[in-house]
Amino acid sequence: MGLVGVGAGAGILSVEASRSGDGVPESGPPGKSSVAVLKAASYEEDLVARILEGARLCGLDLRGKRVLLKPNLVEFDSATAINTDMAVVAAALQAFRALGAAEVRIGEGPGHRRDTLGLAEEARYLHGIHDFEGVFTDLNRDDVRPVEGFAGERFYFPQSALGADLIVSVAKMKTHHWAGATLSMKNLFGLVPGAVYGWPKNKLHYIGIPRAIAELNRTFRNTFALVDGIVGMEGNGPIQGQPKHAGVLVMGRDLAAVDSTCCRIMGIDPAKVEYLRLASALGHVRESAIEQRGESPHAVRTNFELISQFRNLRLA
Amino acid sequence: MADFLRSRLDFLLRTQNDDGGWGYFPGKRSWLEPTAYAMLAIDGHADRAVLNRAWRLVESWQLPDGSWRPGADVEGPGTWVTALGVHLCCTRGQFDDRFTRGVRWLLGTQGREGNWLARLVSMFQPGDPDNDTSHHGWPWLRGTSSWVEPTAQAVVALHLASSHYAGVDARVRDAEELILTRKCHDGGWNYGSRRALGIDLPSYPETTALALLGLQTRKKDLGEEIRHARGLFELTHSRLARAWLSIALGNLGEETAPPDDEPGNDILLAALEAMAHPDGNRSAFRVPSAGSRA
Repeated sequence: MGLVGVGAGAGILSVEASRSGDGVPESGPPGKSSVAVLKAASYEEDLVARILEGARLCGLDLRGKRVLLKPNLVEFDSATAINTDMAVVAAALQAFRALGAAEVRIGEGPGHRRDTLGLAEEARYLHGIHDFEGVFTDLNRDDVRPVEGFAGERFYFPQSALGADLIVSVAKMKTHHWAGATLSMKNLFGLVPGAVYGWPKNKLHYIGIPRAIAELNRTFRNTFALVDGIVGMEGNGPIQGQPKHAGVLVMGRDLAAVDSTCCRIMGIDPAKVEYLRLASALGHVRESAIEQRGESPHAVRTNFELISQFRNLRLA
Repeated sequence: MADFLRSRLDFLLRTQNDDGGWGYFPGKRSWLEPTAYAMLAIDGHADRAVLNRAWRLVESWQLPDGSWRPGADVEGPGTWVTALGVHLCCTRGQFDDRFTRGVRWLLGTQGREGNWLARLVSMFQPGDPDNDTSHHGWPWLRGTSSWVEPTAQAVVALHLASSHYAGVDARVRDAEELILTRKCHDGGWNYGSRRALGIDLPSYPETTALALLGLQTRKKDLGEEIRHARGLFELTHSRLARAWLSIALGNLGEETAPPDDEPGNDILLAALEAMAHPDGNRSAFRVPSAGSRA
């Protein structure tokens, strides 16, 4: 029991757009979005160079900006692919500093576990990232400020997130047993403070997971995605799935476009993922509106195993 | 006094905010949760004026409906921390209108257990813990489901309140049953979901401790659960979990090895570690036996 009632009250954002044949609204931001797909066979490769290359391909300008890296820390389980790998976070910290950011911090607010620093230690962040405690904020227990109009309500968010010039969603490429996939957009669940909303952040479930994902991404617009797909998770993700080697990092400013690209790499049809349909007014989901840089997603496609409820999501 | 305990108490006294409360970390805005734990930890170890200053802040955070807001920057609505507000009323012996309104809010609040389908399944499969929506605990905030931690904290608060507020027993018993139905197959508790998509979920050490706090008057029903908690204490590296487990097992008469970690900058953890120490205020979460109710 516990998560009974999940999805209750799920609604839709008011997307004023006509729909194309694949069901994805045709409106979106003007122009195309660039998404970089970079091969990285393992965490031992030069990930700083890969991230710098991805940032260049996406035209990312960080000079003078305060950057918040938001990894995905979920569970005390260093043996699986459950958390964003420490090597990716450490490389991002180094790369974004090299790109001239005024400040680069790391912040996370896990959904189930209260001991965030303990999670970071188990995931090797504490000892693998220089001065980790000096740059880290537990977003579950940060000071907060209200934001009006989140899913029609006043919602509270961490000062560290609201004060950042750019939030980098350093997500893990995983399947998700309620959302289909969890990538850069759903990773923003960790911006919701547990000190207000609890562990788990059950309020988001009552809003509806797809709608909550879309609302978070509507609220936080200064974002960039860096998805750790070197080893992702397939099957019963985001916690109990199996590691899946995909050998890629996926990056871009348009999180919907990045997640859609990740879906194509995972063999998932993004047009069938509800949160991406809801968020299609915020970013590009249609392949024709995404300018793929680096590797073609089709060239690096490796089908992630899907649980029975989501077999219909398989990309043709 | 042991250096370990002294260092935590000194840290807490040093980090009290000007408004009387404590943040989760030094220099941060005050929140009710770390303020409550800090007050419980230093009770008996600090000047009364320190506690009174903190209490004045806590009093000011009670909302007209009797609930407490969670922190300085959150206007409302009130949340699960209302249990901590009532707990502090009891610890201070302030059984006044503030106390009554807090208890009343707790008694009038319950989780939304399941959607219509889950309730239908529960009706046709009574007694199946995977589909049991018949018991009611407390949510983190109103309008959402019950979870182990807010339920355990509310049970502790109502046990403490029971000597000055009649009629809490039925609700407390029902909530204890809810905690029992949420027990994982391994004998402990996680946040409150024992099974997902047909797969058993594992327990967590920190929430196992909180569940045991909520079930402390039912020690006779707990055997494998205590053994499991002891095993988690030996295995976990989480200081937060070890502190909660020491407090919970101590209430059940089970001793644990005293902590020896270096102090950090986490105020909530420092308060719990102080209470977890053998010379600390370990009885802060201990509730009276059933015989002393109003």
